[in-house]
Amino acid sequence: MRKALIWLLAAMLMVSLTIYGAGCKAEEAAEEEIAEEEMEEEAEEEEAAEEEAEEMAMADSITIHWAQWAPADNLEALSAGFTAETGIEVIVEQTPWETFVQKYNVEMIAGSDAWDIIVADSQDVGNMAINGHFVELTDFVQEKGILDSFLPSAMYYYSEYPKGYERYWGVPVEGDALGWAYRMDLFQDPDNMAAFEAEYGYALGVPESWDMLKDIAEFFHDPDNEFYGVAVYGDNGYDSLAMIAEQTIRVYGGDLGNFETFEVDGYLNSEGAVAGIEYYRELYRFVPPGFGDAFYVATNDAFISGIVPMSTNFFAFLPALANPETNPFAGDTGYFTCPPQEGVDGVVRQSAALGGQAGSVVSYISEEKKNAAFAWLEWFAREETQAEWAQLPGSFTCHEAVLNSDEFLNAAPYNPNMKESFELFQDWWAVPQYDEMLRTFSEVVGAYVISGTGTAEDALQEVTDIWTEIFEEDGYYDPDFDPNDF
Amino acid sequence: MKKKSGSRKTVNMAYRSMKDTTLLRIFVLPVIILLIIMNVFPLFWSLVLSFSDYSAKRATEWGENPEMIGAVNYSEMLRDPKMWNRFITTAKFVLLSVGLQMILGFGMALLLHQVKFFGKGFLTTLLILPMTMSPVIVGIMWKLFYNANYGMFNMLLGLGKIDWTTDPTFNLYGVVIADVWMWTPFVMLLSIAGLSAVPRYLYEAAEIDRASWWYKFTRITMPMVYPLLLVALIFRTMEAFKIFDIAMGITGRGTTAPQLLSMYLYNVGFVTWKTSYGSALGYIMLIMIIAITSIFIKYLNRARQ
Amino acid sequence: MGEVVKKKKNIRRYLIILLIIVITFVYMVPLLYVITTSFKSWSDVQKVPPTFAFKPSIAAYIRIFTSRVVYSEGNQPTEEDIENMKWYERIVYEETGERIVRIGDLPRRYLNSTIIAVASTILTIILGTIAAYGFSRFKIRGKDDLLFFILSTRMLPPVVVIIPVFLMFRFFNMTDSHLTLILLYTAFNVSFAVWVLKGFIDEIPIEYEEAAMVDGYTRFQAFRKIVLPQATTGIAATAVFVFIFAWNEYAFALVLSRRVSQTVPAWLPYQMGVLGYDWAAAAAGTLLFLIPAMIFTVLLRNHLVRGITFGAIRK
Repeated sequence: MRKALIWLLAAMLMVSLTIYGAGCKAEEAAEEEIAEEEMEEEAEEEEAAEEEAEEMAMADSITIHWAQWAPADNLEALSAGFTAETGIEVIVEQTPWETFVQKYNVEMIAGSDAWDIIVADSQDVGNMAINGHFVELTDFVQEKGILDSFLPSAMYYYSEYPKGYERYWGVPVEGDALGWAYRMDLFQDPDNMAAFEAEYGYALGVPESWDMLKDIAEFFHDPDNEFYGVAVYGDNGYDSLAMIAEQTIRVYGGDLGNFETFEVDGYLNSEGAVAGIEYYRELYRFVPPGFGDAFYVATNDAFISGIVPMSTNFFAFLPALANPETNPFAGDTGYFTCPPQEGVDGVVRQSAALGGQAGSVVSYISEEKKNAAFAWLEWFAREETQAEWAQLPGSFTCHEAVLNSDEFLNAAPYNPNMKESFELFQDWWAVPQYDEMLRTFSEVVGAYVISGTGTAEDALQEVTDIWTEIFEEDGYYDPDFDPNDF
Repeated sequence: MKKKSGSRKTVNMAYRSMKDTTLLRIFVLPVIILLIIMNVFPLFWSLVLSFSDYSAKRATEWGENPEMIGAVNYSEMLRDPKMWNRFITTAKFVLLSVGLQMILGFGMALLLHQVKFFGKGFLTTLLILPMTMSPVIVGIMWKLFYNANYGMFNMLLGLGKIDWTTDPTFNLYGVVIADVWMWTPFVMLLSIAGLSAVPRYLYEAAEIDRASWWYKFTRITMPMVYPLLLVALIFRTMEAFKIFDIAMGITGRGTTAPQLLSMYLYNVGFVTWKTSYGSALGYIMLIMIIAITSIFIKYLNRARQ
Repeated sequence: MGEVVKKKKNIRRYLIILLIIVITFVYMVPLLYVITTSFKSWSDVQKVPPTFAFKPSIAAYIRIFTSRVVYSEGNQPTEEDIENMKWYERIVYEETGERIVRIGDLPRRYLNSTIIAVASTILTIILGTIAAYGFSRFKIRGKDDLLFFILSTRMLPPVVVIIPVFLMFRFFNMTDSHLTLILLYTAFNVSFAVWVLKGFIDEIPIEYEEAAMVDGYTRFQAFRKIVLPQATTGIAATAVFVFIFAWNEYAFALVLSRRVSQTVPAWLPYQMGVLGYDWAAAAAGTLLFLIPAMIFTVLLRNHLVRGITFGAIRK
């Protein structure tokens, strides 16, 4: 008995060690291959960079922390070029999305130097800046020309804090926004088109307004035949529901508040906002069952299973739909940007929810590590690197020239929509209290949208009151309050 | 001769008792020390935190922030109108889940105890498997299984489109089913152990007296298995109150999810980062669990006599 | 007369066996679902409505072991490239159009899980046994209270303790080392171990030790030579539960391990690729991870049943 046990333990250890050892060898071999390829391509740049590198002391490896998804894998592959150029090793540590934000927050609280660069969520900029977790990059982005070459809206939302004060804390790594995919075959089917026109009085096509989107969803919604109108997020555990909500609030005339004066009253509880949330509730009636915790996985899955004609998702997740191996309808899949909408005040607006993250330097690391991190950021922000970055499926650049280039626009079917969305995206609050505000919003508005409790007006008024209270308690409305004081 | 052994015994005993106290320390102390470091210290820290307004996200400059604010966290929590609902939901879950586990586990054990056959060991091993899986993974797998569109649960039971994961009328039961599936083997195992321990001759004696099945069950089986069932009950109840991994895997932690205390605790502590509030909640949960388990333990101690 | 009774008994017996088999089968359905999912191709997993028949594929198992990127539109492999692909690369390419970059994170995690679980089990058993012996044989002031205190350490939801524990380990720069989790799991398990083992050791008549000590053995020798051998069943039973807990633990592993020491449960549930959530790979990983726990349980099953009996019934 005992012997058997000992043998088993020994066997387990042996097997694990062998696999691990094989893994290490394969890893080394693969890395060598990639490094060799890159070295051949970038021989010229190597010489130029060498001169610079001699001037500053740099660590020989940096660690980047990001979420566990394909863009992070892409970043790792891409950074082989940086390693070839400077000899600095780049390790990309990935934590799953569900726990990513918690993880880096916990580490920053402890003043950890585990990572040199964190590609943090855009909403966390304020929190990280005020608490001194990130290094201020204002001079850096100006000197290295990043401020000029990247999209102004990208810099504003991903990197600037406080908004409007021209202080910058990160370099946009992944641009992202909410976009839409639709089944071209269903939209172009003559029977569908005839029936739709008969019922609604206008032609079926790519939605030109949110109202039209809802009509289309209603038209296609057919639960008895296991077909549903639309796939949108429903999860209010984190920010999925809020992302959709902020879009509808804005296009109907409301807003989350004024990012520069921190006023909430008059924005979040305005008529436009109420109309937007009521719209979301009505649209939500057309989602498939089980969407109460739907996030990026569920909407894609619904589209792939063929049970919806339209689904929304962040562009970073759309490669799955363009890939014929994973999406049987890939050939019939088209994409569209969040449409414009006439608000309650008659003004036509267009807005998309911003996603994406910016890379920032942790302030608790050593000087050498900081120098190496800066070098990486600079290398990353170059046009050539950005062009290469944009070619990898799922990763998106914020570099203006690259965004406008033909190579980018032709690289994937949804890229033109991506570029369009970048020009009109808007983000959530980036103040340190954003998480509490998000939680309140998600709970209260979520209760209305998903379960239908109460009215949109009451829900929004409740959230407005709570948010105003939060800002008041933290002194944001004091006459001598200076958001720039840190 | 006697005198010699007597004195040797005394000497030995004296020698032993001296060494005993040192030995006692060596034996028991390591555990106590480990527990103090790993458990008591964080517990104490949490307790102190719960009386402050500390938020792990804000900069920590002691004295300025956090401030000690007394029992405000506790009173705020107890005044929260939704708190009551959470307690009720958690209690519902514990009762349903633990109750079903006990009944099913004991029932299966009884069945298995009746017969011996080739392959019984194999089947028993299969039945134990769910318990050896990681709760969070079990949650994820059941989530796929329950999926209203492409999962097989509804299909196999011919249930149509019931949404076990996000429909508030059903998802508590969804979590209960998964939890029962996972932990019934635990109760079953303990019950089998208890049943195997009952000496055969007691049954045989009862048979000779032509005792009925009911008599045998209540007078022989139950009293001997009862303490083990209590152990199972204690451990399962403790764990059921703290349920987190499995529930999060299946229902997520949004508002459609069942309002269980640990999910709320996670949201408070790690999504809104109100660390002190979370500590207060943790303590209230701890007191509740201690209260309930001490009642069970009292029964256990009585049963052991 | 005897014949009829015997027949009745036989029928009853077969009925019960049948019932047991049916129940076991039904009980195993979710697990069967996991197994079949791991062999499904990507689009089969999400087929609406679900079907029983499917074309098996082992791509999921290859995916769980590797880290991949998708071939971008402009970068598709040529005919020649496809010819030169190794068998596993081809399977992955045909299934999801991806290129294998390197061996993924699973082997390392598996190794970590093994090290941490085994080490903490051994440590728990050692500490637990000697503490249980101490509680059983010696008069300790406030013994019952102390025992209750030990049990109560298990009652606190981990979520509450995580931040202080994290800060504590951060102070010692131990947030990503194996030792952290080993210590933590030991501390968590030792309460269970002490309780169960004490029940066992109470079992063993004290007369043997006393006789031994009269004959000149020291207390420690008595412990080693007399108590331990008789307590092996209890130790085995405890070891199984302790190992399973450490093997499957999630909450602490999530926060207290990163790259170096992360265990499989903290990593497995989140198989997010560019193509969406990889259910099949997660299922494959689940099965692979289940195997050691299962083998461990099987080996000690007999001990488990026999062991727990004595552990808790007698005083």
